[in-house]
Amino acid sequence: MAEIATPEVRPGKVETVEDKPELTLEPGYLVICWNDPVNFMDYVTHVFQRVFGWARVKAELHMLQVHEQGKSVLTREGLEKAEHYVHQLQKHSLHATMERDE
Amino acid sequence: MRLLRASKGNYQFHLGQREKHVFCELLGLYPCIPPAHQPLSKNGKVPDGELNQHLLDEALAEQRADNQNQLKVFLSDPLRLVPIQKEHDRGFRLTLSPAELEWLLQILNDIRVGSWLRLGSPEEPRLVLDAATMPHVWAMEASGHFQMQLLAAVGEDRDPPSL
Repeated sequence: MAEIATPEVRPGKVETVEDKPELTLEPGYLVICWNDPVNFMDYVTHVFQRVFGWARVKAELHMLQVHEQGKSVLTREGLEKAEHYVHQLQKHSLHATMERDE
Repeated sequence: MRLLRASKGNYQFHLGQREKHVFCELLGLYPCIPPAHQPLSKNGKVPDGELNQHLLDEALAEQRADNQNQLKVFLSDPLRLVPIQKEHDRGFRLTLSPAELEWLLQILNDIRVGSWLRLGSPEEPRLVLDAATMPHVWAMEASGHFQMQLLAAVGEDRDPPSL
């Protein structure tokens, strides 16, 4: 059985906010799919389902957003994962990019 | 092209003689999208932008080369498009696994999008048909036709609508 460690308290040491790791400072990237007049709506829906594992209803909502509003933000991720998704979408010949979330 | 059956993880399609010819000619056009065609980012605010763009282009180029090799094997496999020996049916039977169907969708969409790019990325679907545009319009429309048949087949296994 693992022992429960007792936290060591040193006198004079005050933990401040600055001491904590900067977990929230990594910038996020938006993975965006842009409209074009060549990709079929059914195909775009299908690719969203395959790449993100979404149910058809969710994939269709994003596809319609692309079609009607010119673009859809598909997800917000860290750098590497956003790059991965852009690669997957471009591999399927969709017009997709990643933009820093500011 | 029409779906004969979708069962046990395989899709079987029927292609007429001319359709089979068009199908093989069309796949021979791959790849149509030019290399390094898409930017990773529109505003360019990505760390190591040039390097990451290079890596993306390289990954897509590798993918394209793999697809070309796979396509050669696909088209030269005598068991891929099997002639149907029936009195009233001189067509062919195409058998695809789900993974092969997905792959074929990607190939066909590359041909469709690439042909559209060669036409100058027109916004309007109506095009002036002449000797220069006709091959690309043909490739765009033919690949679209096969794509829709494949997507319809996938639709047979579609997940039920959520409540």
